[in-house]
Amino acid sequence: MISNTGITLETVSRSFQGRGTVVQALDNVSLDCPAGSFTALIGPSGCGKSTMLRLALGLDDATSGEIGVAGMKPQQAAKAGLTGVAFQDAALMPWRSVEDNIALPLDVLGRKRSDFTAKIDGLIDLVGLKGFEKSLPGELSGGMRQRVSIARALVTDPKVLFLDEPFGALDQILRRQMNIELQRIWMKNRATTLLVTHGIDEAVFLADRVVVMQSRPGRIGKVVDIPLARPRLPEIFTTPEFHALEDQVAEALDGH
Amino acid sequence: MATETALGASSGTTKSETGFRHWSALRNAAILLALWEVLGRFKLVAGGALPAPTEVLIRLWSDRGDYPLHILATFQGASLGFLIGNGLAILAGILFAVSPVAARLGRGLNVAIFALPPIAISPILVLTFSGMTPRVVLAALGCYFVTMSATVTGISQTDKRMLDVVRAYGGGRLALLCLVEIRSALPAILAGLRVAAPAAVLGSILAEFGGGGRFGLGAYLIGSLGRADPARLWGIGLAATAMALIAYGIFALIEARLTRSTRAVTVAATPPGIRSEGSLVSTIAITLASITLPFIVWWLLLKVLGTPAMIAKTPAGVFDYLFLAPSATSAQTRLLAALGQTLPMTLIGMAAGLAFAFALALASVVRPGIVRSFMPVALVTQTMPLVALTPLLVLLLGRGPSLILWITISVTFFPAFVTLAQGLGMVSRGALDVVRAYGASPFTELRLVSIPASLPYLFAAMRLAVPRALLGVMIAEWLATGTGLGNLLNQSRGYLDYGMIWTVAVVSVLISVLFYQIVIVIERHVLQKRGMQPAA
Repeated sequence: MISNTGITLETVSRSFQGRGTVVQALDNVSLDCPAGSFTALIGPSGCGKSTMLRLALGLDDATSGEIGVAGMKPQQAAKAGLTGVAFQDAALMPWRSVEDNIALPLDVLGRKRSDFTAKIDGLIDLVGLKGFEKSLPGELSGGMRQRVSIARALVTDPKVLFLDEPFGALDQILRRQMNIELQRIWMKNRATTLLVTHGIDEAVFLADRVVVMQSRPGRIGKVVDIPLARPRLPEIFTTPEFHALEDQVAEALDGH
Repeated sequence: MATETALGASSGTTKSETGFRHWSALRNAAILLALWEVLGRFKLVAGGALPAPTEVLIRLWSDRGDYPLHILATFQGASLGFLIGNGLAILAGILFAVSPVAARLGRGLNVAIFALPPIAISPILVLTFSGMTPRVVLAALGCYFVTMSATVTGISQTDKRMLDVVRAYGGGRLALLCLVEIRSALPAILAGLRVAAPAAVLGSILAEFGGGGRFGLGAYLIGSLGRADPARLWGIGLAATAMALIAYGIFALIEARLTRSTRAVTVAATPPGIRSEGSLVSTIAITLASITLPFIVWWLLLKVLGTPAMIAKTPAGVFDYLFLAPSATSAQTRLLAALGQTLPMTLIGMAAGLAFAFALALASVVRPGIVRSFMPVALVTQTMPLVALTPLLVLLLGRGPSLILWITISVTFFPAFVTLAQGLGMVSRGALDVVRAYGASPFTELRLVSIPASLPYLFAAMRLAVPRALLGVMIAEWLATGTGLGNLLNQSRGYLDYGMIWTVAVVSVLISVLFYQIVIVIERHVLQKRGMQPAA
């Protein structure tokens, strides 16, 4: 059993070779996400938040520095099946049905799908897609596709969950609903979660901590703690405390 | 129901619209056939060289005893070549897509196979192999490049987000290939097979042409050439075209079935990765290796097959024949004379074919109706085996240079037109709407948006046209005019001048590769300046 399922970044830098120039996507970034915490990364375009996530997922290698996921190298953690991930676009395979898309991580990890039929059924139920098990992604709406990708991220019972603007393509109303759903799901399994987002309200509503990033070079500007009690109800969006926290994050984004 | 948008843009055509389109295509075909019947019946074209369709059908019926064996023989050669060529092509495509180094090493070999005019190597194959082998090899060669490049394109165009999902769960190279890439490339591979199927038929017929074997449509055609019987020639041409069309149709059907449910749902957000360039030394080494590889393969094949050195010339043998042997000067003179006849024709024919295709493709943007009535004809002609056409054109046009030009234009025109029309159809609606919102006329639209946006397709059409133009000229020279490289090849075949046969084959491949490379260099320069990607 893995005791520490946190995410750690120690003085991580990542630079890209452009046309004759070097772009510093991440400059000396250190971040520690304790086990079971919910951290939101927010910042302007090009501040390196997606780069950070890709590094933690093992999709990219840091130029320097150390990254640990559940005490292992990112790729090891991925191969051990400890992680789950949902991307901005649902990134579903158009030829796989809803069920088969959710089961994809099992196929990659070489697990027997028959052991997970109950699990998959439960997830389809959880994200409200009962009756669409055999549908192809092309037959679903944008919101439904995004819910499939959330279910896919949860199928392995991940100890560490990475969410890269998972609701970025949705409209504001649907986004609120999905935020409330996500909190409910997260409170059930308490995976260490790293959420990349563009939405201040989304970050404040979901996270224990909001990490505000700055660009050129990509770095951490400020960390704002969110001491709101859970479960946070939809009404919280209109409270003065919520607005005050939003303002703090917005100020940090402006560089104050 | 009469409102129709340009080619490819109308994804949501209704039932009545497609019904209307089928109906108008049928109507056009009927008008064409009626016209042809009148022309043929009254012997209005070239003194009866164009027989009426009914006459062709009657002749076809009276020849019906001959056809089964010929068709079977061609089918055997083509289908075996199809299986072998495409099997190798898909494996090679996967290898090239997975390993950039292998792709760069194999480039020389791939370009050589793409550019080689089949007619040039058919005598060599006939001399080196026996029985069905030349047909199988030529059919396989005809399939290889199309399917290989379709496989590479299909795999490299895989949605990067899907790859990220699999990688994020620790999926390695094999998992990516099995779970995502091959499945996602399937529509592209099937499209490749669709184009490769008629190419296999053409390859087999070309080999039958070069000699060897009593049966096969190509052998039948050559055998009937001497008899003044246009109706039979047209019948054979018809049978060959039908074979190619059926092959094309079967794969088009499979493709349509399979791709319906698997269109990508959203647009990919991540740009394709920048091609990593190694050090200068390794780049030069790989380029050199890629150029030498075709020669090594050529030499190795002859060693493995153990063909006698008198017949089978190695690279050194060809060099010896052309530069060192006592007869070298005579060989050089004959070769240069032939080149002097072939090269201008190739360039003029190619330029005319491309210009014609570009003009018609542009016209079709302004008047979409042109494409609608023309596309079915274009598709039929594209799958029509060129060789089957040549003797018929001889009957119609005589044996002068105009024949060469017509054949060259007809073989370069159709693939170029299809490519260009496709490119113009893919111009973004949004960009067109912007200029339209400012009240642009159709011609301003063309000038400001459509033409610049379809530049990559113009270059793709040129790349496609290069080897076909040379093939067209050489076939016409071989069968009709008795000039240039085609004739030199045919003569050398008669005199058993093995050195010259090999030399002509090698030189024509080299010329084709050279033209191709020139197009590539210009393409890269122009597109890079405009920040565009080459079209596949």
